[in-house]
Amino acid sequence: MFLQQLINALTIGSLYALTAMGATLIYGILGILDIANAGAYLVGAYVGWYIYYATGSIVLGFLGSILLVGLLGIFLQRTIYSPILAKPRTLSIIPLVAAVGLFTISSDAVRLICGPNSKTYDLKFPMEIIQVGKVTIQPAWLLIFALTAVLLAILWFILNKTKLGLAWRATAGDREIALICGVNTNNAMALSYILGYGFAAAAGIMTGILYNNITPALGEVPSYKMLAIIVLGGLGNPLGTVIAGLIIGIAEVFLSVYTKIPIPKDAIAFVVLIIMLLVKPEGIMGRRNKV
Amino acid sequence: MMKKVLSIVLVLFMVVTMMASTGIAEAKSDTIKIGFFAPVSAASAAADGESAINSARLAVKLVNENGGINGTQVELVDFDDGLDTKQAANIAERLAGDRDIAAVVSGSYSGPTKVAAPIFQEAGKLMVSAYAVHPDVTGAGDLIFSQSFPGAVQATGAAVVAAEQLKATKVAIIYVDLDFGTTQVNAFKAKLAKDYPDVQVVYEQGVAISDSDLTSVVTAAGAAGADLIYSVNYYEQAAEVLRQVGMQKLGIPVLGTEGADSWMLLDIAKEYADGLYITTNMNRDDQNEQTQAYIKNYREEYGKEPDMVGASVYDAFQVLFEAMKNVGTDTQAMKEFIAGMKNFDTVTGTLLYYNAEGSAVKPIQVQLVTNGEYHFFGVVDDAQIIDPANY
Repeated sequence: MFLQQLINALTIGSLYALTAMGATLIYGILGILDIANAGAYLVGAYVGWYIYYATGSIVLGFLGSILLVGLLGIFLQRTIYSPILAKPRTLSIIPLVAAVGLFTISSDAVRLICGPNSKTYDLKFPMEIIQVGKVTIQPAWLLIFALTAVLLAILWFILNKTKLGLAWRATAGDREIALICGVNTNNAMALSYILGYGFAAAAGIMTGILYNNITPALGEVPSYKMLAIIVLGGLGNPLGTVIAGLIIGIAEVFLSVYTKIPIPKDAIAFVVLIIMLLVKPEGIMGRRNKV
Repeated sequence: MMKKVLSIVLVLFMVVTMMASTGIAEAKSDTIKIGFFAPVSAASAAADGESAINSARLAVKLVNENGGINGTQVELVDFDDGLDTKQAANIAERLAGDRDIAAVVSGSYSGPTKVAAPIFQEAGKLMVSAYAVHPDVTGAGDLIFSQSFPGAVQATGAAVVAAEQLKATKVAIIYVDLDFGTTQVNAFKAKLAKDYPDVQVVYEQGVAISDSDLTSVVTAAGAAGADLIYSVNYYEQAAEVLRQVGMQKLGIPVLGTEGADSWMLLDIAKEYADGLYITTNMNRDDQNEQTQAYIKNYREEYGKEPDMVGASVYDAFQVLFEAMKNVGTDTQAMKEFIAGMKNFDTVTGTLLYYNAEGSAVKPIQVQLVTNGEYHFFGVVDDAQIIDPANY
């Protein structure tokens, strides 16, 4: 059972990393805890579902949803977050409250537009479930591992090998100095939102495929659990977020299965966070150790 | 000057109040209004909410097409509680304070219903709960009835099914950590301990209603050597239990509850739903005229498959209609009539009688999913089990 549970834990951990990556990228550059990213996760799952059912192609579902939700991210950045942050001496809680409001609106909008009932992806994989002894590996899990790896590789390439990525890193390091040095910080912020919301959309679709079920409540648990993951990861550090996602996944599975810990599984993320912050207050990876 | 203004305001207030009262009196003579609430907008209960409101509307539509209650048309006053107890309390206060409302049907879960029940009891308003399983619902007082059996009855029946019909010896229990789950798990274990000591509970895990990932829980149930999983979950989680049992190739049968009696479970679990046993109150293969007529009418009206929730709501209205046809809309008269009902034919089988707590006594149906449809597997009709007074 141990090996099966380890695979279960790595699967859910990878999904957590993918889910929290969007909010990490946005925090990294703007310093905003963007709860609305959970709304992008929800909207992305639904947009992907509609495209999949309209075209019959899950690839188009992913690409279309990532693009449309990414553009939605830029729109929200330009019309809501940037104007708020442009005001002098803006309290950090104001964009957080705006993000909470956007998340609430997104949940209700999805419920009103798409209906409160579940929708199912019913994706047929071109391969069977792999069984080795008593251990099984489901095709959806392989897709999660592959998607997480590909998206993180793309992210690494953009951030480290492109001019836009250089601008992102410079802006994330110190926005004012980057601006003085001629870096287009607006483009860097837009990159954060298109990547951040695109990642969330991909994670939403992946969750819908994994559980064959999406509802307007899909974003509720990620809206708070992703906070634990990005804080644990070192606030705005993509690599830290991947490690934190895996740690939370492993902790949830093993503590709930092997111990009689009297707290809900969803609360384990915060227990791990508290313990880790007591030991290492800056999170797993400090801001100086970005990808 | 101030006194004059105050006097005018008071007079205006009295006139408006009198006009409103007259309006109420007129409306009262036009229709019989029945209050109703269900979790229509709650994402975690949306399929049940939809079945509930659809069936409430169907019941009212059909009774009106057949001439209403002794010639008076029925009007549905429906609310969405969103599976929120605060919202349910507000709705209950509003319905309880409305003199036009002759009686109320709860089409909601135990949480909202047990919050609403004492409010109606205190206000002297009669309520029939369609399918809430918590004993506190009917425990609120003599004006509160349930047309279905409480959770303890269903779970005790499930223990009999597990031990005698499914021949289980090692049971893993996965349950939603709410009243719905804990009430039934306790009754299930109590029955096993009392009458089937050879049947062991080898694994037991509660899960939050928000938890959609049950992979590791199902793995652990399999590793514990279970030969039956008793899943006391609502349809979304029950569907995930079935999918994981199937995809992890565990080959363990699953016994569910009425929470898994939903067309949405079949839609989510797909082929993995086959082989699921459930205890419920609806037997779709019952050739009873009421049952088959309801199934046909529901399919024609909504183009969907009916389920236990919808059928129970429909039946709760039939109980009220029967009372109103016989004794009118006086609350005390309705209460006495319902309390004395015997062998009343409903969509969910024969309602044998109401016990002193206001719970319906009726056989427990056992359904088996085959080829993506719920079908008859068996029935538990032992009087010692199906009467909640015996617990």
